[in-house]
Order: sequence, then C-alpha cells, then structure tokens
Amino acid sequence: MDLFDIPFEDEPAEPAAQARIPERRIYTVSELTSGIRGAIEDRFAEVWVEGEISNCKVWNTGHMYFTLKDGASQIKAVMFRSAMRYLKFKPEDGLHVVARGRVSVYEPKGEYQIVCEHMEPHGLGALQLAFEQLKKKLQADGLFDRARKRPLPALPRRIGIVTSLDGAALRDILKVLRRRAPNASVLIRPARVQGEDAAADVATALRMIVKVPGVDVVIVARGGGSMEDLWAFNEERVAKAIFNCPVPVISAVGHETDVTIADFVADLRAPTPSAAAEMVVAAKDDFCSRIERLNGRLRAAARADLQRRRNAVHVLASRRGLAGFHARLAMRGRHAAELTHQFRSAMRQAIETRARGYRALRQRLEQRDLARRLAAMKGRLHVASGRLEGAAGRARHRADSRFRALAGRLENLSPLAVLGRGYAVCWNGDRTAIVRSANTVTAGDRVHVTLADGEINCRVENGSNN
Amino acid sequence: MDPTIKDFESAIAELESIVKTLEDGDLALEKSLALFERGVTLSRFCHTKLEEAERRVEILNERGEIKPAPPSLAEGDDRTR
Repeated sequence: MDLFDIPFEDEPAEPAAQARIPERRIYTVSELTSGIRGAIEDRFAEVWVEGEISNCKVWNTGHMYFTLKDGASQIKAVMFRSAMRYLKFKPEDGLHVVARGRVSVYEPKGEYQIVCEHMEPHGLGALQLAFEQLKKKLQADGLFDRARKRPLPALPRRIGIVTSLDGAALRDILKVLRRRAPNASVLIRPARVQGEDAAADVATALRMIVKVPGVDVVIVARGGGSMEDLWAFNEERVAKAIFNCPVPVISAVGHETDVTIADFVADLRAPTPSAAAEMVVAAKDDFCSRIERLNGRLRAAARADLQRRRNAVHVLASRRGLAGFHARLAMRGRHAAELTHQFRSAMRQAIETRARGYRALRQRLEQRDLARRLAAMKGRLHVASGRLEGAAGRARHRADSRFRALAGRLENLSPLAVLGRGYAVCWNGDRTAIVRSANTVTAGDRVHVTLADGEINCRVENGSNN
Repeated sequence: MDPTIKDFESAIAELESIVKTLEDGDLALEKSLALFERGVTLSRFCHTKLEEAERRVEILNERGEIKPAPPSLAEGDDRTR
C-alpha cells in the first residue's frame, strides 16, 4: 500500500485533470510529517502484528524499544512501562510474538513505529513461556541448587504454615498433624493464594512468619487449580522469599502433577499439602528411631568395651609365665601378711610381757640399781622396735627373724629372766633395800623374797655369813 | 536441663560421634566410661525433648500478633470425615 495514495484532509479535492498545471502546494516538513502522522494513526489505530523480536532493549525508564521483523521487513516498536507491567513473560530477542498496538510517527525523526499495548508469545501460552523463562533465570542464579537444600528439623518448636485460612490445604495439613503429631505447635500466617496480590501476600507472609521465634520449618501450601490459579507460586518475588527463608521451606502447591517455581526453590517439594505435613512428622519419627538405635549402640559399645577389657586381662593372666608370677605374687602377699601378723602379735606379746615385768619390778627392784638398766632397756627396746618396724616395711620375712633375735636379746637382759632361772631377790623388811649380805639381817627380821612368779614373806631364823 | 547440651540436633550429633568413638574402641577405661555417661545423658535429653512441646494452633495476623486459631481449625472439623 502506498502511503501517498491516501488523501490528506487539507488537500484540495480538485479533479486530477486540472493537475496538469498543478497549483503548487508547498508543505513545510513539519506540516507534511504531521499530515503523515495523522493519516497513519487514523488508519492503524489498532493492529495486531506478528513477528520476531530483535534489538530488544529495556531502558531505565522502564520502556522497551525493539524491532519486529519477518523475512523481508521490519518495523520499529516500543512498549511503554505502563504496558510492560502486565506482561507475565519477558520479551527477548528471537522470541516470536503477536503484538497489539497502534502505529505512530515520531515526528522529530520522521520515523514510524508501532506502540505495543499487549504482547503474547506466538504458539506457546504466555504463562508457560513466563514459567520457562523464570525457571531458566533462577536456575542460573543458583536458586535451585541442590547443595543449599536443608534437611527438615527433627523437632520444630513451631511449624509455620503460609496458606489461605479457608482453603482445603490448611484443613488437610492440620488433620494430618492432629493425627500424627498431637503435641506439635502450629503457627498459621494467612495469605491470599490466588489473584493479583497473591504473590506479594505470600512473599510478605513468608518473611513475617520466619521472624517469629521457634518457627523452625515452614509449609507454603495451596490446593490444586489451573496454571493461572497457581500463578502466584511461579512469580519471582515468591521464589526469592522462599530462597531467603532462614529455615527450611516445604512447598505444597496444587496436586501432584502441578509443578511451580516455588517447588524448585523450596528445600522440599510435597506432592500435596497432606504430604507436606507427613514429611514434617516423618522427620520426627526418623529422629525417634535414630535415637533408639544410637541408644542401643551406645550400650552395646559400652558392653563390648568392658568385655574386651575383661578378655584382655584374662588372656594376660592365663599366660604361663605370668600365671606363675601371679601365683607367686599372691603367695608372697599372703606370706608377707602372715609374717606381719606374726611379727605384730609377737611384738605385742613381748612388749606386754616387758611392761608387766616392768610394772612388777618398778616398785620392788632397787631403783638406783635397776632404773638405769631399765631406762637403757627401754631405750633399746624403743630403738629396736623402730628398727623392727622399719625392717618390716622393707622386708617382712627378714624382720621376723631379726625380731626374734632382738627379742631373745631383750629376754636375756630382763631381770625377770634372771629370776626365771631360779634366782631370787631378797628385800629388807620395809622394802627399801635389797639384802645383799647375810650380816645385814638378824634373827627375827622380816624379809621379802621376790621370785619369778611372786613373793614370799619370810622371817629370818638366824643369819650367818659362812 | 544440662547446660552443656545446646539443642536437640547438636545432642544427636554428639551422641552419634560418641557411639562411633566407643565402637571403634581402644580408649582408656576412664575415657570410655566418661563417654558412656555422656552418651546416656544425651540420650535422655533427646527422649525428654521428644516428649515435651505442647499442642497449639495459632494465627499470626498482619500486625504481627499471635492469636489462638478459631476452634474450628484448632480442633478440626468433623464434617471433613
């Protein structure tokens, strides 16, 4: 079509024949351009055009400038921010689209372009395309990385749920929790899960609920529906909100066959809301049995450890050389103990005997004569005892014989021993002196004779020194 | 509760490593006994934790307040049977 076939409004409608001597109608560039603009805008006020996007560029004003082309031609195109807002998918080079808009002329440059109001991908649904595009982008950004998937907590202090308050999803989840985890604590953050504001609502709900202390896991849920119904869960802001959750998130959106972007970002995808609840509970069950097993292993390991030690001791003890040694050791021990015992009682007896003797003699033997010897004896006894004790500590079997020798010597020193051999001591009447000479007594004097086992009171019949 | 135990997860992790160490054997008797005792403490702690917690169903509203959920939610709706 030739643009200049179209008559301009202000063109004089004279017959063509008169144009032979044309009256020159001279336009300024602006006038002409303006005329062209009017003609085009009237004629192409609303058109649909199909073509491939190229040279696509979004300016920071939010407007998008691009070219639509086919095999032979191309047309400049623009889509303003106000219209871009409603696009679910992201236009990009190479994309085959159908655009609706009006053709307009940009007068300063004399260029015409199509101002797009709406655009959809050719063939594929816009939502499907948007889904694929976002999926690809988030995947590249690492939001789906397997490495960042966190395990569910064993014992969530609180189970967070983000969903619609009156949806079936919530009822299903609560039902499972009531049955399987009767003492679980649940916190619900209601959110619209469908419609224009759903994505923003869900994102906000996620951010809020994880701020509550004790929320250790979050289920974000919605019942089944069409792709449009579930759309909120395919939006980037929901994906980002899930990604930024500090605790594990289970995505339970739609039925088993529905897949959303949220499913890819979440730490765990549940086929249904009920299944999400089961997963939370299963984590606890898992831990229960894990603790049981650990407990069993702990006790078994401790038992095995003890048994191992017992065996080791047993094996050592039953080696021949060692066994003999062991027996010898035991015998020595017993021997030493016996010797000690013998020694102790012998010594006790000796000391007692000595003490008895000493007590008996103390009053009766002449002090000057015997005191020194007794003192010396006591000293020696003391020293001997000390040595005996020392010797006992070092070698008890030797101490025994040493003790016996010492005890023998002590025995010899004892005045009692002298008396024991049949000697007697004769005291004067008032027991102040020993009668050493027959001349010191006369007939009729009383004397006391001390024997080993007692005393005889006597009267002197006659005294004589032969 | 035992102040040396941080939380449930760390208790399990510690218990796990104790069991492994004991199973590998070759420890001094005192060490072995001490580990066993610690293991028993941890295991008890875990059991207690599993039992505690109380059932609550609450709602976090837009102002960030936590309110009890309506009984129809908390107690369950028998019509769904």
